Amino acid sequence: MILVLAIAAGWLTGLVRSWIVRKPYRVPELSRTWLVLVAVAPQLLIFQIPYTAGWFSDTWASAVLVISQLLLLGFVWFNRDLVGFRILGLGLILNLLVIILNGGLMPLAPETAQALYPEVSPSVWQIGSRPGMSKNILLLYEDTHLAFLSDSILLPAWFPWTRALSPGDLLIVLGVFWLLAVESPAKPNPQELSPG
Amino acid sequence: MKSLIQKYSLSAGKVNRRHVQTFLVLLTLSMLVLGAGAPGMSGGVGGF
Repeated sequence: MILVLAIAAGWLTGLVRSWIVRKPYRVPELSRTWLVLVAVAPQLLIFQIPYTAGWFSDTWASAVLVISQLLLLGFVWFNRDLVGFRILGLGLILNLLVIILNGGLMPLAPETAQALYPEVSPSVWQIGSRPGMSKNILLLYEDTHLAFLSDSILLPAWFPWTRALSPGDLLIVLGVFWLLAVESPAKPNPQELSPG
Repeated sequence: MKSLIQKYSLSAGKVNRRHVQTFLVLLTLSMLVLGAGAPGMSGGVGGF
């Protein structure tokens, strides 16, 4: 949800900038958008829909997560002309790196999980397990490869959605915001570019 | 009632290719960040 919020913020900022510079707001044309659908649909089944999530083991979940991220990286590659996608792609690579190095799921320290859900008994956080049907795996911070790239950044308590983010997530948020807020309004009208 | 229908017809007529494109791009980006990002405990299934 926090990531989708960046889209809304970027879009609204872009609309305001368009209004200020008196140019119509134009989103960039994206290439190979079908890759996103192919990549994300299995993730929805495994991580988001309670009914189907139980059908898949943790092994399947990690395999699908890695393959899905690779497909998304392909989509980013086809759209790399846009600066926002380069920033987003870097975030995706950082997330993918820490996921691959730690067995296929995003590491989360038990201390961070406890901070997210203080009402849950600490005994629930079993090292090596996947909490709920999330993309996370519980690992001790000191046992995590590239731990600084894991979900270790806690949002402030006053934020409506209490979540732990990774540096890669922050770059993804920044990339999407840049794409919609900065690049879209500045994109010249194709009719203005064509001669005559 | 008739004028209300006419009003909504006019509004629908103003939805052009650019609006549809904007919607599709925002939808694609939403799916992209949901798939690419991995915020801690994002699944929300199974009690978390």
